[in-house]
Amino acid sequence: MPGRIITITSGKGGVGKTTATANIGVALARRGQRVACVDADIGLRNLDVVMGLENRIVYDLVDVVEGRARLRQALIKDKRLPELQLLPAAQTREKSAVNEKQMIKLCDDLRREFDFVLIDSPAGIELGFKNSIAPADEVLIIVTPEVSSVRDADRVIGLTEASEKSSPKLIINRLRPAMVRRGEMMDTADVLEVLAIELIGIVPEDETIITSTNKGQPVALEDRSVAGAAFTHIAQRLLGEEVPFQVFDESDGLMERLARLFRRNQ
Amino acid sequence: MSIVSFKGTREGLAITFGEGAWHDVLNELATQLNRPSAQSFFQGARVLLETGERALDVAQIEELIALLAQHRMTLTAISGEAHTRAAFEQVRATMPAPPESLAEETREASAPNAFGKHALLVQRTVRSGQNIKYAGTILVIGDVNPGAQVVAEGDVIVWGKLRGVVHAGAAGDDNAMVGALILAPTQLRIGKQIARAPDDKRARQFPEVARVRDGRIIVEPWIAS
Ligand SMILES: Nc1ncnc2c1ncn2[C@@H]1O[C@H](COP(=O)(O)OP(=O)(O)OP(=O)(O)O)[C@@H](O)[C@H]1O
Ligand SMILES: [Mg+2]
Repeated sequence: MPGRIITITSGKGGVGKTTATANIGVALARRGQRVACVDADIGLRNLDVVMGLENRIVYDLVDVVEGRARLRQALIKDKRLPELQLLPAAQTREKSAVNEKQMIKLCDDLRREFDFVLIDSPAGIELGFKNSIAPADEVLIIVTPEVSSVRDADRVIGLTEASEKSSPKLIINRLRPAMVRRGEMMDTADVLEVLAIELIGIVPEDETIITSTNKGQPVALEDRSVAGAAFTHIAQRLLGEEVPFQVFDESDGLMERLARLFRRNQ
Repeated sequence: MSIVSFKGTREGLAITFGEGAWHDVLNELATQLNRPSAQSFFQGARVLLETGERALDVAQIEELIALLAQHRMTLTAISGEAHTRAAFEQVRATMPAPPESLAEETREASAPNAFGKHALLVQRTVRSGQNIKYAGTILVIGDVNPGAQVVAEGDVIVWGKLRGVVHAGAAGDDNAMVGALILAPTQLRIGKQIARAPDDKRARQFPEVARVRDGRIIVEPWIAS
């Protein structure tokens, strides 16, 4: 059976597309799926850094598209998970170095060898976004619980629907339960109310993501990480498992927990 | 089957060519598009062409595109025989991309209503960056999100939350109205009047209607009268 091509995109930049691609890739591979992560952010590649594979790059996506390298030569095997491979982006080229047709062809070749092809989309709604969406069977939209991020996600959902893809699914990233409780951050319901698409994951704000990103060790490699568990749940849902959505409470400050205890006992 | 038939789809207006000489097809299409009642119905639509077994060459497709363009219609796809599709790909490579707006997709739902005006029915969430314009009344079954725009020469009725920019009576008709289950637009215009949401407005959770009275936009609960 040919693999599924899933594009991870957002509209607004810096909301966690690359982080999500790496971690969902890791989580799927840990469950025995053959996964190719494709960095479509040509000119601003960093999926390789997040996955800790930067120093192994010989050829990149543009080399494959332009026929200088075969797919097999450009794909980098993950050092920890044999099922996981990365197709890095070119760093010295521009988005216009590839077109939609080439992306479709490339991903069709990949899906013959892999169960999942995960595409890390660049930010924005221009050429790079269109190239990333063109081959997708499924689209995951990342949003942070902020008005501007939600607005941009809405725009991208509209564009995805217009390109005749099945309805995209939503990942809410960097949720801070304590802020939500204080009414300082949109909660899941607020975001869903505007975007009105299916939710596939909620990932809390988690400091370990920053350190793990710097080390090139995606959090989904570890079982203890809160964000890692959230990404694993997304992978499970992609595989059709029913996983209840977690309620995040632990990350509250101690004072707040005490305050709530106190209130409850009154 | 007639030589040219029309069908509304989610992606746009589907036009099917039956059997017959090419110039008969073109003539029939031109006649259909020129019918006065068809004018607002077709204006601006995205067209998906079904050509069946008929082989069209580049020149014929260009002829078609030119005819459609007279009605501000865009040919976005052809399904049919392989040569025809190849010719279309060739033409399309030299064409500018079609507009991304989905405004036209729902044109097929347009029909004269009880007031003799045409109404456009939109059954989906109208999302940020999307723009719906229509020369009659617009009825949205769904939400109009912030960053979306709905502009009607007639009324605008939203069976959902209206949070984008809305303009009713856009050709200058102060008698037009805007109604919504939750009326919380970023900006609301009727005819020549403009109102924007007060910066601290909390949306009221009951249907409201906006009209112009004495040169000002007034919002009141929407109750059957
Ligand atoms: N759940 C999280 N908790 C804490 N930090 C996070 C979380 N998700 C992402 N980050 C941090 O946010 C920053 C941006 O993340 P990332 O690079 O994945 O975003 P992106 O959408 O790919 O950005 P770009 O649009 O530039 O490609 C990174 O520093 C990352 O470590
Ligand atoms: Mg990125």
